[in-house]
Amino acid sequence: MLSRSTLLQLSLAGSLVAVLAGLAAYANWYPVPDAEERATGWRRIAWPFPRDAFPPGRAWRRDDTEVYVRPKIGFCGNCDTGVVEDSEVDGKSDIDLLDASFVPVAEGKRIQITDLAGRERLYRIRKDGRERLAQAVAVSYKCDLIVAVVVGKVDDETVAKAARRFLETNTVQVWLNGLLDGK
Amino acid sequence: MKRNGLWIGLCLLGALPGQAQEQKVGAPPESSNMKLVGWSDLQARSAYQPTIQKQGSRFIAYIGHHGGTDDIPMPINAMTGQPEPNGTSIVDVTDPAQPKYLRHIPGAPGKYEDGGAQMVRLCDGSALPKGDKAAVYMLRTFGGQAHEIWNVADPSNPKLLTRLDGLRDTHKSWWECDTGIAYLVGGAKDWRAKRMTQVYDLSDPAKPVKIRDFGLVGQEPGATGQVPTDLHGPISTGPQGNRVYFGYGTNKGGVIQMVDREKLLKGAPEPTPDNLRAPEVGRLLMSAWNGAHTVFPMLKMPIAEFANDKEGQTRDIVMIVDEAILNECNEPRQMIWFADVSIESRPMMISSWTVPEASGNFCQRGGRFGAHSSNESMAPVFYKKIAVIAWFNAGVRAIDVRDPYHPKEVGYFIPAITDKTDKRCVKVDGKDRCKTAIQTNNVETDERGYVYIVDRANTGMHILELGGEARQVAGLK
Repeated sequence: MLSRSTLLQLSLAGSLVAVLAGLAAYANWYPVPDAEERATGWRRIAWPFPRDAFPPGRAWRRDDTEVYVRPKIGFCGNCDTGVVEDSEVDGKSDIDLLDASFVPVAEGKRIQITDLAGRERLYRIRKDGRERLAQAVAVSYKCDLIVAVVVGKVDDETVAKAARRFLETNTVQVWLNGLLDGK
Repeated sequence: MKRNGLWIGLCLLGALPGQAQEQKVGAPPESSNMKLVGWSDLQARSAYQPTIQKQGSRFIAYIGHHGGTDDIPMPINAMTGQPEPNGTSIVDVTDPAQPKYLRHIPGAPGKYEDGGAQMVRLCDGSALPKGDKAAVYMLRTFGGQAHEIWNVADPSNPKLLTRLDGLRDTHKSWWECDTGIAYLVGGAKDWRAKRMTQVYDLSDPAKPVKIRDFGLVGQEPGATGQVPTDLHGPISTGPQGNRVYFGYGTNKGGVIQMVDREKLLKGAPEPTPDNLRAPEVGRLLMSAWNGAHTVFPMLKMPIAEFANDKEGQTRDIVMIVDEAILNECNEPRQMIWFADVSIESRPMMISSWTVPEASGNFCQRGGRFGAHSSNESMAPVFYKKIAVIAWFNAGVRAIDVRDPYHPKEVGYFIPAITDKTDKRCVKVDGKDRCKTAIQTNNVETDERGYVYIVDRANTGMHILELGGEARQVAGLK
């Protein structure tokens, strides 16, 4: 039979462990913003999607706009031509994770993010019970694919441009290059 | 004590996996119960599908090639002295010890999977209902652009008959020689998948007749929402079996779709969701981590363990072969799986098999390690007894499949590399780190019991025979 004080100590220790674990999890999900994140106002949020064939990516939010990015190593359908069709954006970006019933709003367009080329396409999705717009991007480097989805008022060119600029920041590019370069 | 400590340390070192066994030019092949009989360099072209055709008293191997490499986009055809885009190699293997290279038919310009002519199937004109009895027909892909049919009755002088073009991609097609029905893998215009099925009647190869387009619901033109994974390849059991097994996915999100052949061929052809759903009799969804490169049916297999059971003594089995696509194990293991599809509406995975990685430190050897493809010949010599599986840097593996609930390896062969074997690289700290290893890509068998393996990394074609236990399992003398 444990004494009352031992039980108290054990429960305090247990609470401390739980608090530390919670803090660690919080720090993992909401890491300290880097200089660019502080300057641009984008804040890391947790990757919200369940585990699938690819390692989880990273996600950021600013105001009412969210950005979800991840590399899909070796997943480019054609290593020489890269992403050239809208069907590849439909099928290979993560737009289906946000809403499996996504509906394209328009034909896609060619896009360049730093030195990575591919296509972007605008979709209508339902997220958190309301209709949203989402811009999906699929660009490639040799056989590797990098996909991103921007959710928000992306029909507003200012919002779309700001998201695109964020995708080109060191915050995103250094992380992506590290993964693509096997670091 | 010190000495004991030293011994313990040495024992621990011994227990650790061995050093990486990177292959060296000049080193011998590694094998068990499989022996090299003959070899063709295939002009050092990256090889995909081999198909062996008996033409009269001759055995001819037709080998599809991927496009060229960055270093050598157009290898030299030694017979003409000219550089040619990789296409189809034609090799007389009547004497497997002395394979004779007969002809290279150039394929589409373009590197890797963007060019070449990777797929090839053969049918005798005498087997096809409306074929020229004197002809032997070769169906091949032409890069991602087209399917072609050639008359190869004289394999040294093939003649182009027909081309079906305007495609966005092609891949691993199937052709029923007794009916002429072909399930061509390609990308039809407006479909949301670059690899789906176009069903053709090629009973008269000079006059192809389109029957319908087919794919998973969501791939059809005009669909919205989630796009199912691309097709890899179908295998049909023909009118007698009345089933077509479609494998979707390569190394991810595999889907095995079982289709009533009659309903597929005679159903309404418009690609509406209802019409696409109508012929499906069953579906098996794989993990997001594994794909279905080859789905090889082995139906009505007697299972010795179930022999005294009142029901279910024979089982319909499908062997599923994943495809590894990333070098040096940068992905979940791709291997082979066996599904019991006797109850088609409730298919169930019953077993799997992989080469033990530690048996050769294959993750460190370089290139891909994992399954890619199986033999597809249903000739009695091996069918339902032994399956041979191409396993990239682990060579080819002979598996005893007589009890598919407990598949067992009975032989293997890992070819030696040559000075033509191409390197395979991974990024390490931003720089390419390259290694050279055999990349056994595809495999086929002939009715005599020879095994033909071809290399993706330009090492050619090795012709093998089984020995020891593997030979006994096959019932070969």
